[in-house]
Amino acid sequence: MLKYFAILLLSLSFLVMPVTSRAADQVTLYLFWQEGCPHCAAEEEFLADLLQKEPYKDRVNIQRYEISQPGTRQVLQQFTKKLNFQPAGVPITIIGDKYWIGFGESAGTDVAIRQQLDQELNNLPATEPTTDKKPLLVNLPLLGQVDFQAWSLPALTVVVGLLDGFNPCAMWTLLFLITLLLGMASKTRMWLLGSAFIVTSAVVYFIFMAAWLNFILFIGLVFWVRLFIGLVALGGGLWSLKKFRENKDGGCEINEAGDRRRTLNKLKQAVYNQNFLLALVGIVALAFTVNLVELVCSAGLPAVYTQVLAMNNLPSWQYYGYLLGYIFFFMLDDLLVFFIAMTTLRLTGISTKYSRWSSLIGGILMIIIALLLIFKPQWLMFG
Amino acid sequence: MMVLKFGAAWCSGCLVMKPIWAELEKELPWLVTEYYDYDESQVIADKYQVNEKLPTFIFLDKNDQEILRLQGEASKTELLKIITANKDK
Repeated sequence: MLKYFAILLLSLSFLVMPVTSRAADQVTLYLFWQEGCPHCAAEEEFLADLLQKEPYKDRVNIQRYEISQPGTRQVLQQFTKKLNFQPAGVPITIIGDKYWIGFGESAGTDVAIRQQLDQELNNLPATEPTTDKKPLLVNLPLLGQVDFQAWSLPALTVVVGLLDGFNPCAMWTLLFLITLLLGMASKTRMWLLGSAFIVTSAVVYFIFMAAWLNFILFIGLVFWVRLFIGLVALGGGLWSLKKFRENKDGGCEINEAGDRRRTLNKLKQAVYNQNFLLALVGIVALAFTVNLVELVCSAGLPAVYTQVLAMNNLPSWQYYGYLLGYIFFFMLDDLLVFFIAMTTLRLTGISTKYSRWSSLIGGILMIIIALLLIFKPQWLMFG
Repeated sequence: MMVLKFGAAWCSGCLVMKPIWAELEKELPWLVTEYYDYDESQVIADKYQVNEKLPTFIFLDKNDQEILRLQGEASKTELLKIITANKDK
């Protein structure tokens, strides 16, 4: 909270400062920051302290750009083109031809910035920044010492993925497909068609989440986008709680019948097609459509998760690694139902009552994440 | 007593209830049940005003009068209790 106010006060103080022309012996530091970002506040504190000291005092000119302000993106784009980097998070610090994404004293960014300033001031060779992170160790019963920072994002991935997986929207299609498959003479065809449905469902979800993540990273971690996602999450959470309260006995709403009936007829046509390739194409196309349409049913969990992921300023491979992890846990219940059915040749459905309880837990989680996104986004930046 | 069971292929709750009813029908051979697929039995679904939620189970007495109606999933114990209590009706 103090950091939040500090950055606000600093920004306001810079607004009322008289604009001075840059002296020839000054080094310019460009700082792209965001309101509510704890690392930005930490860097501001570091810079405020540093600029009081020699040889930096009066010799470093800081140009600040709040990321959600009009015109900031254009300025940032000039730098990203020139220095060839992706603006994956804030703060972004640029001195000469060097840039840093993120800030942490424990990560050595402060040292690297100071060294770069020294180099610019004294025309000395640069030193590469280090990326070591200081662990936040917590003693937990049974588990022992756990690095809270390192495990927060994986834990969130498992919990949100599983909760999203219990969403019954796409499950009914799989259950009906299994009932059709179980009546087949060819076990190979049965396995192939079922697996095609599962794999396509996973791919569609992955494509959707990766596209959403890239969209968020592309537009930058803008306050309004975070607020919008937060409000969507809040709405989704309240809707899930409403569903939990209303649907006490589980069961399926009859008003959902129309669309599902159409899907079932298409599924039947696909499965019973004599030509295996056509059947396979039909199943893949249907899995694609069903999962895309039923994404709405997830009440925004994937969108909220990707927003949190984007805020953590990770390397690309980690972003996609987390997405794959999410998809795995999202598909886990489908995989279990499918493999049990295929090996025992009996259909075991997952009770809609479990879905109801997942609505409650998911709803509460969504509301918590929504409030954090809106009021305390720094708490969702685990790194 | 007779039980009308309304379900649909697109309803996972109906699929969950199928094996439970199969067990009950095996254990209670005197129990008369009739299954209606909601999509294929619109007339009878309308007659019994099944228009909110599936699965729906309607318990009828000997005069075809409705004793009780259950919507959504129910446990085997719960169903057994209702059936035993209304066996002679």
